[in-house]
Amino acid sequence: MRKLASLAAFTALCLSAVSPVIADETLKMGVVPSFSDESESSGVHSTYKGDWQYMVGGGVASFDCNGDGFPDMFLAGGENKAKFYVNQSTRGGPLKFKEQQSGLELDSVTGAYPIDIDGDGVMDLVVLRVGETVAMQGLGDCKFERANEKWAFNGGDSWWTAFSATWEHGNAWPTLALGSYIDRTQEIDPWGSCTDNWLLRPKAGTAGFDAPVPLKPSYCTLSMLFTDWNRSGVQSLRVSNDREYYEGGTEQLWHVDAGKPPALYTAKEGWKPLKIWGMGIAEADVNGDGYPDYFLTSMADNKLQTLTTPPVTGNVIPADFKDIAYPLHAIAQRPYMGTDLRPSTAWHAQFEDVNNDCIPDLFIAKGNVSAMPDFAMADPDNLLLGGPDGKFTEVGDKAGVASTQIGRGAGLPDFNLDGLPDLVIVNRNHEAQVFRNTTADAGHWLDLKLDEPGGNRDAIGAWIKVTSGTVVMQREITIGGGHASGQATWIHFGLADMTDAQVEVTWPDGTHSDAAKVNADGFYVLSPGKAPQSWTPAS
Amino acid sequence: MFGRHRVALAVAAGAFAFGGAVGAYGADSRASPEQVDLTWTQMVLLLTRHTPTYSPPVASRTFAYLSVAAYEAVAAGSTDLQSLAGQLTALTPGPQRDTAKSYDEAIVLNATMSAVVKAMFANTGPTGQRAFQAQLDKLTHDTEDGVAPDVVASSEAFGAAVAAHILDWAKDDGGTEVVNMGFPYAGDYKLNPEPGHWVPTSTIVQQQTPLLPAWGKNRPFAMPADLDCKVPPGVTYSEDPSSEFYKQAKEVYDTKNNLTPEQAAIARFWADDPMLSWTPPGHWINITMQILERDHVALEKAVDTLMRVSVAEADAFIGCWQVKFIYDTIRPLTYIRKLIDPKWDTLINTPPFPEYDSGHSVSSAAAATVLTSIYGDNFAFEDDTGSKDNLAPHNFKSFWEAAQQAGISRLYGGIHFRAAIENGLAQGRCIAAYSVNLKTWK
Repeated sequence: MRKLASLAAFTALCLSAVSPVIADETLKMGVVPSFSDESESSGVHSTYKGDWQYMVGGGVASFDCNGDGFPDMFLAGGENKAKFYVNQSTRGGPLKFKEQQSGLELDSVTGAYPIDIDGDGVMDLVVLRVGETVAMQGLGDCKFERANEKWAFNGGDSWWTAFSATWEHGNAWPTLALGSYIDRTQEIDPWGSCTDNWLLRPKAGTAGFDAPVPLKPSYCTLSMLFTDWNRSGVQSLRVSNDREYYEGGTEQLWHVDAGKPPALYTAKEGWKPLKIWGMGIAEADVNGDGYPDYFLTSMADNKLQTLTTPPVTGNVIPADFKDIAYPLHAIAQRPYMGTDLRPSTAWHAQFEDVNNDCIPDLFIAKGNVSAMPDFAMADPDNLLLGGPDGKFTEVGDKAGVASTQIGRGAGLPDFNLDGLPDLVIVNRNHEAQVFRNTTADAGHWLDLKLDEPGGNRDAIGAWIKVTSGTVVMQREITIGGGHASGQATWIHFGLADMTDAQVEVTWPDGTHSDAAKVNADGFYVLSPGKAPQSWTPAS
Repeated sequence: MFGRHRVALAVAAGAFAFGGAVGAYGADSRASPEQVDLTWTQMVLLLTRHTPTYSPPVASRTFAYLSVAAYEAVAAGSTDLQSLAGQLTALTPGPQRDTAKSYDEAIVLNATMSAVVKAMFANTGPTGQRAFQAQLDKLTHDTEDGVAPDVVASSEAFGAAVAAHILDWAKDDGGTEVVNMGFPYAGDYKLNPEPGHWVPTSTIVQQQTPLLPAWGKNRPFAMPADLDCKVPPGVTYSEDPSSEFYKQAKEVYDTKNNLTPEQAAIARFWADDPMLSWTPPGHWINITMQILERDHVALEKAVDTLMRVSVAEADAFIGCWQVKFIYDTIRPLTYIRKLIDPKWDTLINTPPFPEYDSGHSVSSAAAATVLTSIYGDNFAFEDDTGSKDNLAPHNFKSFWEAAQQAGISRLYGGIHFRAAIENGLAQGRCIAAYSVNLKTWK
């Protein structure tokens, strides 16, 4: 197979896309996708197992660690050892994985996020655990070793459940956010015992990190995402918290500005308290205004937040969000099939254009916390198909992904590089599931990777703009969000009937690349000052 | 005063020291029955906040059954207290103690209350189940340590029998089953389309129907079932700017828009949102517990006080829900957005059920009436119920001052008209009289 020797690290993201509201009648839209359940034949046999301390978590990290361009997988095991699977699929073929010893076979793992911490072009991994979070340095060829001591990475001793990362301007090393949950030593009254989230900044002049800065107050976090919500060029830290356990808490947004201590956004800046069972964050430009919108998973009704005040260039944008889940039919508050009408419990959420119609679709992993009788037990995962009117339509059952296992983390990488995002779901106390996207009438597509010199190899914080015809799609490159699950694979755009597109990048330092033409149904690597480089996977 | 069990209780009482949920036990390290009582009540406060079905009416019911069970368990061994059988609706005489056996009051109470809590919170989540078990393990150890096995056995058996008796009484009161967290499924409830009636105020799908519309049909505890404490109709609905209804809406609008910091703090202090607090009945239970703890109130008076407050609270919610679904009144949010200011919003969350009358007012007046009957007028106390949620403690000169503040807090918050508050306070006072009149002391 052709190796991506210099391109081994794909851009980590937890996804975002697209300006969908331009209704072009020539576009191929609304094709109901189809997925084939290849869990048995895929070779993946991993179960996220465990009792109380593993009622949350259950993540999967998707990334390429052997340079063949095909996403490999690391799955959390809870009380089981975590497992690494190398991708042996061929282009367009069935999904095939092989378990392989990698050095990642840790216990007590709740989730993981791929990130090239040391900027060497080889993907590393932050492994969240009940206990110590471990930074695993990628050595190449899918081998990893612990780097906590080497990088002065303090993994603490907590119930770690969330992660995100950004590169503050001028830094070659990332700033990391670690999210933690409950003080697990508190049995009789664990409520209100939220342990501190941490911010790990690089230590100047060293190849490593400074001592952690507690993000006080912390409110039992289950998802974090560095995101440039106001297109200021600086990512802020969005934190989604579980109201079941905090007291006096709320969802949070932190300023993380270079050279300054982290500071919460305030009511004066527009931030309003929102109390949900926050479990996952997904980002996409749902309404096509060029600014990120955020889907927040919870129990029963989920939230889809957009800026309350339409942004005006040059004006200060209030950090004021409103919920548009109800009018856009994105609430997904209870099972949409079967006879179980009790409210749902939602975990991982991720936008991806699974039918390549230029409109972001939304996958949501569902599953009861642990035999909670007031919530659905047969709780099918959702696949909400984005429509040209901005509204979503449930097609999980029609698409074949309506699993009623106890879902937690997930990912939607294109495992077989056929231009169709596939699906992996981690289930609690049940084997993970792997689905191949077999949509026959999907549109054209474009898969991109960013590669820039310096420490931030994957250009975290960049924005990609894809224009074709009347359609403009924009996407922020991020690390974090979802539920304990990170993805660092090709950045996917659906192109519908369009056979080519113009791509532009606003790099993390604010520089802007000129629009360049690329052909549909191809893979391209984008670097500052260079023409897009075409790449072809081995077939 | 206890008869033949006095020695066992005295040992525990000698070690009695409240100090939070499970305070220091004293020299013998055994939990006193007073501590057992407050510890399980405290656990119910915690579980109420963290169990999805526990809206205020549901919480009030559980507090009532828990406290009646505790009362009956204690009364059965007391020479000074008498049973509530024949006084509370449909409560029959419970188990009697075997005069040939010895009992330990702390173990009896632990067995009684734990069994009730376990049954009432069978639907709580994994953390609640874990907390319950940890609490039970601790209290079982702390009450039984050093006690003769035959006394442990007889005490546990008696406590379990009392709990079974109370749970059997509870099962057909109409409040046992809470489906869909209390919200009728779409199609099972028809909104009244006429102007002036309640319409949903949020986009939460579950809340497109009102909470527990049949709760007013539940069997009450001490009050008669036929709405003896009648409440006059609220202000006649009108959209005429010169009407009283419009004026009351304008009062809510103007008040909320010009809130002083103190008024805003009051609104938040009494917000008591389900799943984010101990709920309104839990708030008053906690006020009661703070006083019992502060004043080291002895067991018999403690269980009597908690029972009376809880019964009054439960009846208050039944009575209030009867009124709510008779008049089915529109919320200020809906009216004001339609007629005064389409962008207006409340300070606190608008509850998902009809406006008239005010549940906070009814239940607060009920609790204040009971507590005043026990502790008198002008009984000053500090209420730190919201301290864990960063709400500063409030000091009150009397229970009625607190009840009136709880009532008006709903106007400050923008969710109630004045009539619902004033008439609600009157209804609560009336309902509580039935609890006050229960005969407990021989």
